[in-house]
Amino acid sequence: MADALIFQPKAGKPAPASTLGVAGWVRGNLFSSLPNAILTLLGAYIAYAFLSAVIGWALIDAVWEAKNRRECLDLVGRAGACWPGVKAWIPNLIYGLYPKDQVWRINTGFLVLAVWAVPLFLPWVRSKVVIGLSMALLYPLLASYFFHGGERDLLWTVLIALGLAGFLASWVIAIGEWRGEVRLLEGRRRWVVGGGLYLLSLLLVSQWQLQEVQTRVWGGLFLTLVISGFGITFSLPAGILLALGRRSRMPLIAAVSTTFIELFRSVPLITVLFMFNTMLPLFLPAGVEVNRLLRAIVAVCLFSSAYMAEIVRGGLQAIPKGQYEAAAAVGLGFWQSTSLIILPQALRIAIPNIVGTFIGLFKDTTLVSIIGLFDLLSMARAVGEDTVWLGLFIEPFFFVTMLYFVFCFSMSQYSFNLEAKLGAGQRR
Amino acid sequence: MSAPAIELIGLNKWYGAFQVLKDIDLRVREGERIVVCGPSGSGKSTMIRCINQLEHHQQGDVLIHGQAFGESAARDEAIRRDIGMVFQQFNLFPHLTVLENCTFALIWVKQMPKAEAEALAMSLLERVRIPEQAHKFPLQLSGGQQQRVAIARALCMAPKVMLFDEPTSALDPEMISEVLDVMIELAESGMTMIVVTHEMSFARRVADRVIFMDQGEIVEEAPPAEFFTTPKYDRTRLFLSQIL
Repeated sequence: MADALIFQPKAGKPAPASTLGVAGWVRGNLFSSLPNAILTLLGAYIAYAFLSAVIGWALIDAVWEAKNRRECLDLVGRAGACWPGVKAWIPNLIYGLYPKDQVWRINTGFLVLAVWAVPLFLPWVRSKVVIGLSMALLYPLLASYFFHGGERDLLWTVLIALGLAGFLASWVIAIGEWRGEVRLLEGRRRWVVGGGLYLLSLLLVSQWQLQEVQTRVWGGLFLTLVISGFGITFSLPAGILLALGRRSRMPLIAAVSTTFIELFRSVPLITVLFMFNTMLPLFLPAGVEVNRLLRAIVAVCLFSSAYMAEIVRGGLQAIPKGQYEAAAAVGLGFWQSTSLIILPQALRIAIPNIVGTFIGLFKDTTLVSIIGLFDLLSMARAVGEDTVWLGLFIEPFFFVTMLYFVFCFSMSQYSFNLEAKLGAGQRR
Repeated sequence: MSAPAIELIGLNKWYGAFQVLKDIDLRVREGERIVVCGPSGSGKSTMIRCINQLEHHQQGDVLIHGQAFGESAARDEAIRRDIGMVFQQFNLFPHLTVLENCTFALIWVKQMPKAEAEALAMSLLERVRIPEQAHKFPLQLSGGQQQRVAIARALCMAPKVMLFDEPTSALDPEMISEVLDVMIELAESGMTMIVVTHEMSFARRVADRVIFMDQGEIVEEAPPAEFFTTPKYDRTRLFLSQIL
C-alpha cells in the first residue's frame, strides 16, 4: 500500500493593499460609490456650518465681562453669547437658594460620596460588592443629615452614625485588602472591628450639630442630583423584586406586582407627581405633614421602579431554562440560584436598558418644577427673570444643556465600560 | 438488601391532556449502568428528568435510595444533591470560569472553604482531562470540553447517581469520543448511571441493561448482548435497523 499523502495547509496571503491603512479606510467607508461620496461631502458641510455657527456664538463673538444684559446687547447685540449673566448665577444654578455660608456642606457631602466610591475603582479591592451596597444603602442616611441638619432624636442619631460607620468600614476593608491584612476582616474579629467603628461614629455624630436648612431652599443641580440619586438607588432593587414578583408562581405576589407595574407604567410621571403632591395629603390624618421634596422623591422612586421591573424582567426572560435546571441539579435553592446564577447574567444583558432608564430618570426630574421645586432647569429659567439679566434665556439653557450632557454622557460611557468588563470571555 | 438506588413505581405524567409517561416501572441497583434509547418524543428525557424532579409527575412514586420527593423543599434539595446531572446543552454558567463552575455549589451549598473546594475541583478537572482550561470561561471552550466540564461540575458534589440526558447529541462528531471516554471511565469506577443516548457503541461497552422506550412506555429491557442481537419486539428491531 502506498504511503498516505501528507496534507499541508496553504499559508495566508496578505490582504489587498487598497483595503488597508488610512487611504483604504477612507475609500471603503466614505467614498465607496458616487452617492456615498455625495453624502459624505453633504454631511461634512452640515457639520461645518453647525459647528462654526455655535462656536462663533458661544466663544468667538461672546461677551465675558459685563455688569448687566444691557451692556452685553450694546457690545454685540444678539450675535454673541452673554456669559456674565450665567457666571453670576452659577452658585444658584448649582446650589439653588441654599444659604451661602452652608454650601460647604453640600460640597463635603458629595466629596464623601466620591471618596466612598474610590475603592470601587481600585484593582486590588475584592469586596467591591459589599462596598457598593453599603454605599447605596448607608450613604443616604449620612447625606440626609449633612444636607438637612437641624434637631434630631435618638433614632435619627443612631442611623446617621450607621452611615458614617459604613463609610469608615468601606475604607478599612479597602486598606486591609491593599495591605493584605485580611485577618482583621475574618470571623469574629470582623464584628469587633465593625462594632468599634460604629461606637466611634456614634461618638462623633453625637458631638455634631448642623444648622437646619429646610428643603424649600434646596435647588439647582444639587436638587436634581438628590432626586435622581434616590430614584436610581431605589429603583434598581425595587425593580428586581417586582420583576421576580411578576414571574412568581404564587398568584397573590404575581398579581400585586403586575398591578403595581401596570398602574405606574400607564400614567405619565407628571400625573404621578401631581397625585403625590396634591392628593396624598388628603389621605393622611390631619396634622401629619409630609415634606414636599419627600413626596416628589417617593413619586419618582415608585414610577421608575415600575419601568425598571420590566427591564429586569426582559433580562430574566433571556436566560435559558437550562440555567435554572443546572442550578437546581447541583442543589441550589430558589434564592441562591436567582441571586448568584440568574440575576448576574440577566442584569448584564439588561445594562444598556438599565442605564438608559437611569439617564431618562435623571432628565425627567426636571418635571418636579411643576410642583414648585427648583431643580436645575427651573433655576436656568430664573436667570432671565432676574431684573439685571432680564430676557437672558438662551445662555443659561445652553449651559444647563452642556451640564446635562456631561452627566448623561458619563453615565452611558460608564455603562459601556461596565459591559466590556463584565462581558470578558463571555461572547456568545 | 439495601434499597435500590433509584426506583420508579407506576409513573404517569401528562402535559395537559397528552400523556408522556405511561406506567413506568424501573428499578436501578447501586452501581448499575442503564442506557435508555428510543425515538424522539418517546419520553426518555422526561423520564430521567423526573428522577431528580426537574419535571414533576402526576401519579406514581420516585424513590432515591428509598427516599421519596415532595416532603419539603429543603429535603428535595438534599436528595437532589446526591444526583448529578449532565445536560444535552451543557448548561454551564457562562458568567463563571470553568473552575468557579465546579466550586460554586461546593462553596454555596456544602459551605466548603474556598481553598478546599478549588483543590477538589482541580482534581476532578484533571480526571476529565482539562485542568489547563480551569481559568477560562465556558464559552471559550469547544463543545466537547464544555461537556467534560459539566461532568466535572456534577462529580464535584460527590453524587451517588449520575444522569446523562443525551450528553453527546449537541457535539460535533470529532468531539463525541472525548466525552464518551470520560463516561466510560466513570462507568468503570462503579458509578450508578442512567444514560439517555443513541451511542450504541457506548451501550454495548458499559451498559448492564438497555431500555428501549416508545410513546411513553418502556417497550423492551435487556442486557446489551441480548438487546442488540435478539430483540423481542418488532418496534425495537425497526428502531435498531434505523440507527445502526
